[in-house]
Amino acid sequence: MATPSKVHPMSARTECVVVDHVKKSFRRGSEEVHVLDELSLRVPEGEFLSLMGPSGSGKTTLLNLIAGLDRPTSGEVRVRNEPISKLSESQLAAWRTRNIGFVFQFYHLLPVLSAYRNVELPLLLLPMTSKERRKQVEMALDIVNLSDRMHHRPGQLSGGQQQRVGIARALVTDPALIVADEPTGDLDSKSAEEILALLVALKSSLNKTIVMVTHDPKAAARADRTLHLEKGQLVEEVIHTEFKPAPALQLS
Amino acid sequence: MNTIALTFRLLWLVLDNTFRNPLRTILTALGTVALVLVVTLVYTVLNNLDRITQEKSSNLKLIATEKWQIPSQMPYRYVAGLSQGAAREPGDVKPEDYMSWGFFAGSTDSDASSRDFNSFLFAFVMEPEKILTMMDELDELSPTSQEYKELKAAVDRLQDNKRGIIVGLERLAKLNRKVGDRITLYSRNYKDINLELEIVGTFPAGRYDGSTVFRRDYLNAALDQYKQEKGTSHPLADKSLNLMWLRVPTREAFNQVATQITNSPEFSSPAVKVETASSGIGSFLDGYRDLLWGAKWLLAPACMATLALVISNSISISVRERQTEFAVMKVLGFQPFQILLLVIGEALLIGLTSGFFSATATYLVINEGMGGLPFKIGFLPTFDVPASAIFWGTVMGGGTALLGSILPAWSARTVKVSEVFSRVA
Repeated sequence: MATPSKVHPMSARTECVVVDHVKKSFRRGSEEVHVLDELSLRVPEGEFLSLMGPSGSGKTTLLNLIAGLDRPTSGEVRVRNEPISKLSESQLAAWRTRNIGFVFQFYHLLPVLSAYRNVELPLLLLPMTSKERRKQVEMALDIVNLSDRMHHRPGQLSGGQQQRVGIARALVTDPALIVADEPTGDLDSKSAEEILALLVALKSSLNKTIVMVTHDPKAAARADRTLHLEKGQLVEEVIHTEFKPAPALQLS
Repeated sequence: MNTIALTFRLLWLVLDNTFRNPLRTILTALGTVALVLVVTLVYTVLNNLDRITQEKSSNLKLIATEKWQIPSQMPYRYVAGLSQGAAREPGDVKPEDYMSWGFFAGSTDSDASSRDFNSFLFAFVMEPEKILTMMDELDELSPTSQEYKELKAAVDRLQDNKRGIIVGLERLAKLNRKVGDRITLYSRNYKDINLELEIVGTFPAGRYDGSTVFRRDYLNAALDQYKQEKGTSHPLADKSLNLMWLRVPTREAFNQVATQITNSPEFSSPAVKVETASSGIGSFLDGYRDLLWGAKWLLAPACMATLALVISNSISISVRERQTEFAVMKVLGFQPFQILLLVIGEALLIGLTSGFFSATATYLVINEGMGGLPFKIGFLPTFDVPASAIFWGTVMGGGTALLGSILPAWSARTVKVSEVFSRVA
C-alpha cells in the first residue's frame, strides 16, 4: 500500500484546503467514537479530489468539516487560508454562502420552487439586485445546460436534471470550492456520466476546486486524485491524471 | 445584508411554502376563521355592554323604579311628582324631560291554548310625544332624515288616534299585519283587559324591530272602564307605572334630583330608587354576570388557546416534514434566525390573513347585512361589531399564530445539518 502524500505532487499552487492534524470524535451513549484520527490533507486550488472508503470511514465527516458544517474536536481546517474552525455559527453560515458550493446525493431541491428559484436561493443572502441575480442564475443554468427547464419544478425534472440544478445552485455564488457528497449515487449510469463530465468541466474551465465523496471507483477515476480513508485515516492515494491547473476564471 | 431587505426577499418563499400543502393550509385557515369569529362576537357583546354601562357625564337619563321589588310596579299617580323631579322648594332642580314606562304583554290570538311567539306582543305603554324626545337612539335622529320624518308622521298619527299602536318591522312581519290593520290584544299581565288597537306606523329598522308602543291614556281608560264594569279596581290599576325616565343635564343635576326624590315623602310607599340608565342596565345585567365573566375570561381565552394549538400542530407537522430542507438552507448559508423567521412568517401569513378575513366578514355581515347583532336580553339594543374588531381580529389571528409557531420554529432553527444528512444517507 502506498503511503499517501496528502498533497498532489505536481501542485506548486496555493492550497485551497488545508486539513491539519484533525481529530473528530462523537459521543454515542457512554462510548466515544473516533471518526477522524490526526488526519492531515492539502488540496491545491483547481484540483478535483475524490474521497473513497467504506461506510463509517469518516469521508462524509471530513467533507462536512471542509464545508464548515461541523467542527473538528482538535486540529484545524483552513480554506483559502481562512481558519474556519474558529468562526462562529453565523460567521460560518455567511462564509459558506460565498465560498462553498454543496452538491448532495439526493439533490435536495426545494420542491415548491422552480429550478430558477432553487438556484437563486443562495443569492438571496448576498447584496445583489434582482437584475444581478437573474444574470447569475441564468448563467449557472446555462452552464449545466438547463436554460430551457428553468421554470420547471423539481418534480417535473429527471434525476439527472435535478442534480444539474443542484450543481447550478452550488455554482451560482461562484465559490472557490465545490464539495459533492456522492453526487452520482442516486443516478443511472448515463446520468452519472453526464454529472461527472460536468464536474470535470467545472474544474477545467472554471478552475473550481472540487472535493467529492464517492463509493464508485469509476466516478473516483474522473478526479485528478483519489484518497482512500479507513477508520478515520488516509490509507492510500491514487493519482489519476497529471494535475494542470486551469487559468483562474470567474463565473461572472 | 440588511435583515429587513432579506425578510422582504424571503416573502415569496413564505408564500410558496404556505401553499405547499393547500388542504392543510385551508384547514388551518378555517380553524382561525371560526375561532376569530367566535372571539369577535364575544368581544362585540362585551364591548357594547361596556359602552352602554359606561356612565355619561352630561345629558344623563335618570331611572326611577320601585325600590324593593322586581319587577318594579309603581302607582301611576307617581308620574306627576316624578316628572318634576320631586321639586318642592325654590332652588330645587327640575328634569328637562321625562317619560313614563308601562309594560303590557299580550297576544293577538284570542285562544289561549294556541298562542305562540308569532302572535305574542310586548308593548311599551307611554306618552306618544316622548318617542321622539326620550327613547334611546330615536332621540338622536336628525330632523331632516327620512327616518325621522317617517317616525314623526307615525307619532302624529298615534297622537291623533287614542287606540293607535306603533309596531317594529320584525314584530309586524311576525304578526303578519301591515300598517292600517286593526288588532285585538288579549292581555297576559293585565288580566281581563283586552285592547282594540290600530297599527299606525313602524319604527325605523334596527334597535326597535321587535318593539311596540301604544298610548298610556288608552291603558288608563281601559283600567277605568274595568272598574266601572266590575265595580272594583283592576289588581294592577295602582301598579301600572313600571319605570320613569327623567332627563337631566349634568351629574350635579342628577345628584340633586336623586336626593329630592329619595327624600320626598310622596314616594315612600312604595319607596322609589334612582339610578342612571347605565347603572340601571348594569344592575339588570348583574344576573348575567357569571355568564359574561365566563365568556370574557374562559370562552375567549379557550378559543385562542385552541387556535394556538391547532396552528402549532399544523406547523409542527410541516416542520417535521421539512427538516431536510431546513438543513439544506443552512448549508446554503441561511442563519438559524432566518429559518426561524421563515417558519414564523408562514404561520403569521395564515393567521393574519384569516384573522383579517374573518373579522372583516363578521363586521360586514353583522353590521351591513343583519343591521347589528341581536342580543335578546331585556330591551337591550342590537349590537354593532365595532370597527376596531377588524384590527383586533387580525392581531388576534396573527398573535395566536405567532404563539403557536414559536416552538415549531425553534425546532426548525435548531436543526443539526450533520444529523439530518446522516439520517437521509
